[in-house]
Amino acid sequence: MLNLKQLFFFLVFFAASSLLAQDCQLKVSGIIYDIKSQQAIADANVYSQDRRQGTISNSEGFFEISNLCGGELHLFISHIGCSPRSVFIHLSADTNLVIWLDHSNEVLNEVSVAANQISRSLEPQKALTAEIISENAASDLATVLENLNGLSSLGNGAKISKPVVQGLYGNRLSVINNGVVHSGQQWGNDHAPEIDPLMAGSLSVLKGSAAIEYMGSSLGSVILVEPRAMPTDPHVHGAAQYFFESNGRGQVINAQIEQKATGLSWRFAGSLKKNGDQKTATYYLRNTGREEANAVVQLEKRYAKKWQSKLYYSLNSSKLGLLRGSQIGNLSDLQLALEQTEPFFTEDDFSYRIESPRQEVQHHLLKASQLFSMDKNRGFELNYAWQLNIRQEFDIRRAERGDRPALSLSENNHFWELKYHSQSAKGWHWQSALQYNLRDNYNVPETGILPLVPDYINREWGAYFRAYKQWYKWAIDFGARADYILQNVAAISITAPRELLRYRNEFFNPKASLALSYEFSKDLKTNLNLGYSQRNPAINELYSNGLHQGVSGIEEGDPNLREEQSFKSSIDLSYQPNERWNFEVLAFIQPINNFIYLQPQDELRLTIRGAFPVFKYEQSNALLRGLELQTNFDPKGPLRVDANFSYLRGDNREEKIPLVFMPANRIFAALNYELPSWGVWEKLEFQVSNRFVFEQKHLLASQDFVAPPPSYNLVGVKASAERQIANNRWHFFVKADNLFNVAYRDYLNRQRYFADDLGINCSIGLGLKF
Amino acid sequence: MKTTFKLFAAMFAFTALVACSEDEPEAPVIPNEEELITTLKWQLVSQDEQDTLNFLFRDLDGDGGNAPLVEISDLKANTSYNARISLLNELENPIEDITLEVAAEAEDHQFFYESSLSGLSLSYADSDLNGKPVGILSTITTTDESSGNLSITLLHMPDKFANGVEAGDRTAAGGETDISVSFTINVKP
Repeated sequence: MLNLKQLFFFLVFFAASSLLAQDCQLKVSGIIYDIKSQQAIADANVYSQDRRQGTISNSEGFFEISNLCGGELHLFISHIGCSPRSVFIHLSADTNLVIWLDHSNEVLNEVSVAANQISRSLEPQKALTAEIISENAASDLATVLENLNGLSSLGNGAKISKPVVQGLYGNRLSVINNGVVHSGQQWGNDHAPEIDPLMAGSLSVLKGSAAIEYMGSSLGSVILVEPRAMPTDPHVHGAAQYFFESNGRGQVINAQIEQKATGLSWRFAGSLKKNGDQKTATYYLRNTGREEANAVVQLEKRYAKKWQSKLYYSLNSSKLGLLRGSQIGNLSDLQLALEQTEPFFTEDDFSYRIESPRQEVQHHLLKASQLFSMDKNRGFELNYAWQLNIRQEFDIRRAERGDRPALSLSENNHFWELKYHSQSAKGWHWQSALQYNLRDNYNVPETGILPLVPDYINREWGAYFRAYKQWYKWAIDFGARADYILQNVAAISITAPRELLRYRNEFFNPKASLALSYEFSKDLKTNLNLGYSQRNPAINELYSNGLHQGVSGIEEGDPNLREEQSFKSSIDLSYQPNERWNFEVLAFIQPINNFIYLQPQDELRLTIRGAFPVFKYEQSNALLRGLELQTNFDPKGPLRVDANFSYLRGDNREEKIPLVFMPANRIFAALNYELPSWGVWEKLEFQVSNRFVFEQKHLLASQDFVAPPPSYNLVGVKASAERQIANNRWHFFVKADNLFNVAYRDYLNRQRYFADDLGINCSIGLGLKF
Repeated sequence: MKTTFKLFAAMFAFTALVACSEDEPEAPVIPNEEELITTLKWQLVSQDEQDTLNFLFRDLDGDGGNAPLVEISDLKANTSYNARISLLNELENPIEDITLEVAAEAEDHQFFYESSLSGLSLSYADSDLNGKPVGILSTITTTDESSGNLSITLLHMPDKFANGVEAGDRTAAGGETDISVSFTINVKP
């Protein structure tokens, strides 16, 4: 287990020495350490942008810049494989610094450094940094997250997908954006979370006990989207990025500007993304373009040391095209589409045009926080968050109705939270909160079609506590929460004549978790996580009723469904036999009682559009289990090797059949070659990576319209470098995904019924920091 | 410290109180499902205008669970009929004739007729602005006595220039199905 000091992303100690130094005779020196290995880092680059002076650390990690004038000084510290850091100091004397860098691509989670916050989790936390995110600037959230071992994505097309963690997604996996459970139409498998990863500072997954802090329907894990830490520098700084990808001719521009002004820290960020028809190995995917705009405003103010206010606003607005050939009217349409080598409506020419079928979505998040620290060890936090999710989906319709949405939903979400945290003298950390959430889902009556999900108001009251203590080689983290849910639903009958149906539901969901960690030695650590959680049936599982175009079937909800109950146990072991090798193993088992799933019925329902299979939401006992392996080999030379493997199996234990939509097993390996500098270039990195995804064989032929696609292997290459030009730091990179232009289909992408997945995609990126 | 705590407690109590009033969602607007097709009528008039046969498929609740109503008639052997399809939305008041919408977008629609009967042939008797068939009107000729099924499919946005589509083969047409009904046909002496 890491101690608190190590959790600091980097630490700066000021050790002022002489006050007698004359102007322009001052020195800045320091030592640079790797936070994980605690070893000194040699060949790190230290550069002062305002003084145009720089140096490189020696083999002891030591550096020194002399003959400096007093005044404000910015230092930029970078090293291969590390997230670069900026340090701001007011130089009035010779200064000695200690700087911690994280020397890995997957860094420790950026835990808030406030002493009164419990660490995120006992499990080793893997996070994707802003650097990794920006190298995937044109991808959606779930696709970026696939860079973490054990994560996959489920969706409809390459840019409309949702993350899958250990077999759970959608209603069973919450996405936490800046501490707030992301609200929206999470039930739809083709509804991606409306979050731009470029606006985040880090992305990570909480698999253990820390997930208990969040309201919502997660059964075990949550995805954390954390904003960047607020600036500590009194000058205006910023960054800008341009990104181009060949597949879909996508372009991204992204900029941010920030300052810690007196009394108020602020940041503005924004991004624009656009791409046209994407391309498989051989043909264009018509109508798979996207247009997206994002904006973030972040303000933070501290008063009188004890009080702190924060304000965060983000907007995501996007227009997403769905493959034209994927809109079907009935089963025989699907059958004909399956027989095509190229989807219907495929065109020879590229186009940026986005027509129906398409989605137009806007998501607003406003969060206001008031923090009060009573003393060093105790504090309160009051949070309010408002979310507005507006979703319109357009289908191909008769008589110029294509401009009228076929689905139009507006969801308002209000969240209040009062949190208390404390740290006792004996080392106990304590956190507890009262939470309330109000969700109002409304069908905008403009569609001329019976709504897929009804109008409803959902109220949820929750409370939790979590305690944590570390002593000697042991650490314990446990907590419990309870949520009471009251739902008022107003639905329209699907029988003629149409009439109003009202339902009132109450649910009570307890959750509990326990995590233990033990350090056998410095090289061998283990964590055990046990958790019980409950999820009440989602609104679509209770009341959806009618034809679901996506699956060519009639889906019937069941208003009598009960809560799902999950018992999850996981154990992980990390072993570092020497400085070069690092191994990590994680195994989990998760039985879920009353698991809600769509069961095909022995009925074909005759309608005027033909006969459709009927699916009903039913409950059964399910079992998920999985294994994740990860290893790094770093011989401390220019070469580094990373490899990981994930295995998952899901079964319906009562029916003795596999669970559908479980990610296939996969192996990933990457070979990295790194050079500290070459001519004017610095931090040169080259990577060759290989991803092999197995065929999903754990499925019966009767469970799908077509057999899952065969296994596939994708090779990628990447190169990046940095360069200092005048006062600015430039970052360049090029990469190619699916280098050999392999034609493949992925089991979790619904588009696989109609078309191949993406072919080769070359990207270039250009970044600037000022 | 106690005052602060009270302040926070009061704020939370206030929000909780606001939260506790149980509002029902307002009654949703029942949509005007003007696009829905509830009924297909297929009328066959023998070319000597002696016989009028009516086929009907009516499903008033759309995708709902009530079974549709199907009515059929018998055809005569060695007879030619002029056939005409009409599509209705009988949930609307007055009843809406969807056939007009289809005819107005004739270039984007086509009816396909597939039969398993040996003694029955069918040909299109109308065309759109591109000279391609629409299939609202057709001609049916019977020869021998036989019986089997005839399916009627209406495709929206088919590729009417694709191979075989003009002749009534939908395989290469693409598009999505708006109507797909099947009638039992008996050709009697």
